[in-house]
Amino acid sequence: MKKSLLLSAAIAVLGAAAPAETLRIPHELGYGGSESMDPISPQRFYEAIQNVYSRLVRQGDDGRPSADLALSWEATPDAREWTFNLRPDVTFHNANAFTAEDVAFSLMRTQSEAIDSPTKGVMEVIDRVEVIDPLTVKVVLKQSHADFPLLVMDYRIRMLDAETCGNDLDALCESGVGTGPFQMVDFDPLGTTTFTRFDNYYGGTVGTENLELIAIADQDARVAALQAGQIDFIYALSAEQVPLFANNPNFTVQSVPTGRWVGLVMNTQIEPLNDPRVRKAIRMSADRDALGKLVYGKDGYITSCDHPVWSGDQYRAEIDCPRDIEGAKALLAEAGYADGLTVELFVSDISEGAVKMAEVLQNQAKDAGITIELVPAPADGYWGDVWMKEPFFATGWSQRPADQILNEAYRSSATWNETAWTSPDFDAKLDAARSELDFDKRKALYGELQKELWENGGSFIPVHLNTVRAFSAKLSGVQPVEDFSIRYEGIAKSGSDS
Amino acid sequence: MPSLILRRIGFAAFTIAFVSMIMFAAVEALPGNVCTSFLQRFAQGPRLERCIEQQGLDRPALVRYGEWVSGAVQGDFGYSLKKRKPINELIRERFRNTALLGGIAALIAIPLAIFLGIVAGVRRDRPLDLSLSGAAMLAMTIPEFVTATALIYVFAITLQWFPAVTILPPNAGLMQMLPNIVLPVLVLSAVLIAHIMRMMRASVIDVMTSDYVQMARLKGVPERQIIRKHVVPNAMIPALNVIALTIAWLLAGVVVVEKVFNYPGLGTLMIQAIFDRDLPLVQAIALIFSVIYVGVNLLADLAALALDPRLRRKGH
Repeated sequence: MKKSLLLSAAIAVLGAAAPAETLRIPHELGYGGSESMDPISPQRFYEAIQNVYSRLVRQGDDGRPSADLALSWEATPDAREWTFNLRPDVTFHNANAFTAEDVAFSLMRTQSEAIDSPTKGVMEVIDRVEVIDPLTVKVVLKQSHADFPLLVMDYRIRMLDAETCGNDLDALCESGVGTGPFQMVDFDPLGTTTFTRFDNYYGGTVGTENLELIAIADQDARVAALQAGQIDFIYALSAEQVPLFANNPNFTVQSVPTGRWVGLVMNTQIEPLNDPRVRKAIRMSADRDALGKLVYGKDGYITSCDHPVWSGDQYRAEIDCPRDIEGAKALLAEAGYADGLTVELFVSDISEGAVKMAEVLQNQAKDAGITIELVPAPADGYWGDVWMKEPFFATGWSQRPADQILNEAYRSSATWNETAWTSPDFDAKLDAARSELDFDKRKALYGELQKELWENGGSFIPVHLNTVRAFSAKLSGVQPVEDFSIRYEGIAKSGSDS
Repeated sequence: MPSLILRRIGFAAFTIAFVSMIMFAAVEALPGNVCTSFLQRFAQGPRLERCIEQQGLDRPALVRYGEWVSGAVQGDFGYSLKKRKPINELIRERFRNTALLGGIAALIAIPLAIFLGIVAGVRRDRPLDLSLSGAAMLAMTIPEFVTATALIYVFAITLQWFPAVTILPPNAGLMQMLPNIVLPVLVLSAVLIAHIMRMMRASVIDVMTSDYVQMARLKGVPERQIIRKHVVPNAMIPALNVIALTIAWLLAGVVVVEKVFNYPGLGTLMIQAIFDRDLPLVQAIALIFSVIYVGVNLLADLAALALDPRLRRKGH
């Protein structure tokens, strides 16, 4: 027995002796192995696409668009025509040159009925793309959009090689051929997907020779794998998992703000929540800081005042929303609920902390005479049976830039207008912000929209979530930015000692 | 005698057919369907209709069941639209991995458990028996995910002898599987050994106190011979059923253990398929598991027939 144990130990050592300078990142199998290398597919394999494909524009440190495959851009005064000047001498992994044709192809395919991409709704603002010369491309919009570069900054709007994709606008393109820092070697979303450094990467030297995306669906298994040194990095640690790495010299823990939020939604058209005073009373009864600490831990959140624009966004409005029980009571009395109010809240374990958040609000709202009855709903089928069907329910959103989230969730005609927010004035301001070319004026307009949501809106968004990650102390160059913006090419790994 | 065997096989086939119906009906009864779970927030309007049409969900359940069964009988489990691959292709390697894990665990655990059970039974209430029984109790009561976590902590994180979770390079061969298998096999064997050993011990004690063993002793047959010729064969019969049940338990245990160790077997695939609502895949794996379950029980039945002449008489 002992002999065989030693033997297996020897095999284990041999098996684990991976070549140095391989960055090993876990992949959460969010689509259960059906991950697609097409960046606009609903099952886009985002850890992979962000490494093999590049965008026209990327998020700069100030949250504003900065150069990537496009070096510069300018708009006509009405913000309807945008000209992008492309980076010269860029090649795809297959040695094809990157040109304006590829940009036109990559942008127009997002609108395909056949592909039916989640990016379709947002990109439908594009009317046509004109190729001026191989390094200049003009995008003509159907309506003014002063922040069009923000739309192409979306993590899914990546530049593909038109030739490799057969120039077919209506077909998925899963080639993996891009201009990014890593080129794909083996594709195995249920196992290990491997990449190797692309030597002609336009962004300079890539930090590690190889990159591996390793499928580990279970977070506890990922934690064990990082502890045992089988992977180098782990995303989205829960508050309970942080201490495992926090005081260990072999690991670095990083907490960064993101635009992800979990919230509670009041339908603004259904009694009694159709009264803005009632909605505000409920929102005023919350102690957001206490709620954040209880639900997400002391480093897990940044408080917000019921507007969906996160702390890292250039358009975030500064609003103050302290707990105000007296104010809430007064508003309720004014609305005819002097003796208190009872509402049902539908919750489910759909997003991190949704149920806990509802329980905390239930307790906090009691002080203002509001009784919230929690109705547990099954997570299975929640998005079809409960979400946007009940008057008061839980929701969760991933990070989006200000313009996108405000349009996707609050424009009267939006498919996902979960609060049933119907305000022609609000819609008009959204349009005005979109066509305002002056940054400060635009910022002021977005600010007004957010204040309007705090005063009258139907969303309860107490906090935006931080994400906490841990990684091996051997890694350097992991920027404190949210997951979608991590540049893996900038990460270096030292030595193979363990 | 052959008709008896045929009858047992017939029963087994009927059970599997019945289970397949229940499974299909259960999946039908779930809220939502492949399309709603796949599209999530996009599950509305034409997009949903198109998906339902593409997946053939607008046809009656009976027609879909018929298609599924006739395919499965021919060894074709259909196509996973979510993973865009034939299910057979998805399952093949996974089945091999699970069979390897379960097989090695069973091969180590069952003979060892039988041997330890006999030893404990023969040395009843002596220190050896007490310590073996105590250890078995412990192994039975601690859930396998706890054992697994403890083993990972000691052997993977602290000592770094074995990997904590299974990470395989693409197209990994059997040799690369081996170091990954050690800890999962230990976890599975611990519970297997405990169950079978306890049953074997009780059964041995039963036989040891029986009249015919007493008689053999009085006739002066050496103790060693009594154990080999009379005790073990007779004690095996009741233990056989427990072994069959324990192997069936192994199927459930494998799912948990595979998940904890991220082992690329049918168990993890099934869990992913459930989360992903990949219903055709869930059905296929569930059917495979039930066939194994029924098959193992059938084998135990037949083995008992072979060991015990009384069972072979008419009327049983």
